[in-house]
Amino acid sequence: MSKISRRLFNTGLAAASVSTLAFPSISLGALPRVVVIGGGAGGATAARYIAKDSNGGVDVTLVEASKRYYTCFFSNIYLGGFRNYGSIGHNYYGLAVNRGVNMVHEWAVSVDSTARKVVLGSGEHLSYDKLVISPGIDLKYDTINGYSAEVQDHMPHAWKSGTQVQLLRNQVMNMKQGGTFVMVPPPNPYRCPPGPYERVSMIAHQFKQSNPSAKIVILDPKNKFSKQGLFEAGWQKHYPGMIEWISADTHGGLKNVNASSMEFETDLDTFKADAACVVPAQRAGAIAMAAGVNNGDWCPIVPASMQSQADENIYVLGDASIAKSMPKSGFSANSQAKVAANHIRGALTGSKVFDARYSNTCWSLIAPDDDVKVGASYTGGAEAIDVESKFISQADDSSETRAANYQESIDWYNGITADMFS
Amino acid sequence: MIILIVSFCKFAFSDEQQIIDMGDIEYGEYLGAECASCHHQSGASEGIPSIHGMDAEVFVALMLAYRSKDMENPVMQMIAGRLNDEQIGSLALYFSGLETPN
Repeated sequence: MSKISRRLFNTGLAAASVSTLAFPSISLGALPRVVVIGGGAGGATAARYIAKDSNGGVDVTLVEASKRYYTCFFSNIYLGGFRNYGSIGHNYYGLAVNRGVNMVHEWAVSVDSTARKVVLGSGEHLSYDKLVISPGIDLKYDTINGYSAEVQDHMPHAWKSGTQVQLLRNQVMNMKQGGTFVMVPPPNPYRCPPGPYERVSMIAHQFKQSNPSAKIVILDPKNKFSKQGLFEAGWQKHYPGMIEWISADTHGGLKNVNASSMEFETDLDTFKADAACVVPAQRAGAIAMAAGVNNGDWCPIVPASMQSQADENIYVLGDASIAKSMPKSGFSANSQAKVAANHIRGALTGSKVFDARYSNTCWSLIAPDDDVKVGASYTGGAEAIDVESKFISQADDSSETRAANYQESIDWYNGITADMFS
Repeated sequence: MIILIVSFCKFAFSDEQQIIDMGDIEYGEYLGAECASCHHQSGASEGIPSIHGMDAEVFVALMLAYRSKDMENPVMQMIAGRLNDEQIGSLALYFSGLETPN
């Protein structure tokens, strides 16, 4: 098959089905093979950089079940009504057509690390020389009594982007006037530390316009949270009296959730909700467990390369990895992917391998033109990924600075999604 | 700000050029991946400018100004703050060699 037709074929533009034809690794013969599992900020970036920087010298296959990927980052901005749903959706045509990445839209179900093969849901195998696992999170539903996958449409977690986030937006828009919205953030560690509090801000912004007498109660399993001072000052300023944050020590723990009566039982009180968002504890995506690269809920990595501590031919990126001081964010995953891509290319093609350097910035929108940010740079130390320097928005920032932060975040979104998918 | 720095460059030409001469373009490509998380190739609206095809001396002058915190923006101060002269020169070589956005 010619290079062009193979690319078109793999993007799904050709009519044939993937599973009926030979896998790309076979048709490409002796090229070193990289398989990437997961097409998010870690996996898409890794696939793109390995393909781009090796100029066709490495055969890259990206396994991602979805043909359209909705980013978790900026899903809160959609919830606040600042963007439409379509604007956070992306496809993989750029990776396939511009970079020659072979797309396989299936679930990876297991990994034979001895034979170096990934087993797909169809039963087909993909052989690899190096494997990248970037599966994001799975939710530990059973850590909250009464919560489960069966009731998640009634009380969306919306902590994986896509239809859950749309559902939550609808429930916010349709909540009765003067009703109560209950938010249950997850315990540490979890994807996107400031995310639950930005989400509350965005829902409050929506209520301020469409349901001004509504209340928001946050039943937190923690006693403090990311950018707490900045969020609380912003809530006081923009949404006075609307938001009540209740710490774990104050409510004494969430004992039970009743999805039909919409009641949240704590030591302090039983809270009755008219709409809710419940985000349970998390762990690395299931394929990481199937590959055996986890230690408990998450996957230990080598800080200098993002290689799994369990298998030098496997790299674990993003939320699934134990990056310690580096938060579980799309920005972090994108940054880690570049270190891994450089290391993998070096191992497979002899290209130069440079020192690991990582960075992260998280922007959070509190209200229109009031955006705060926190970030840090990191190095790959001997024991862990170490913080090199860090910054956080200041309480006395000018309104111009906060507005500029929001503009910056929009451009960052355009930048990182191009860096993943183009 | 950029105009001021460009005119400043004329007097400080040798400093910027010395830093550029220390650069390695392959290293710049690797280091530049960090920039690509935010700086879109096509250039941007109001928040984050394109740096593709930026004049190498201007690039060095800007990075030195962020490193010394003479220019504001905590993200850029953090990024530039951990770059040594060789790394700044490498980035300048890499980005100045890319096509400017349309």
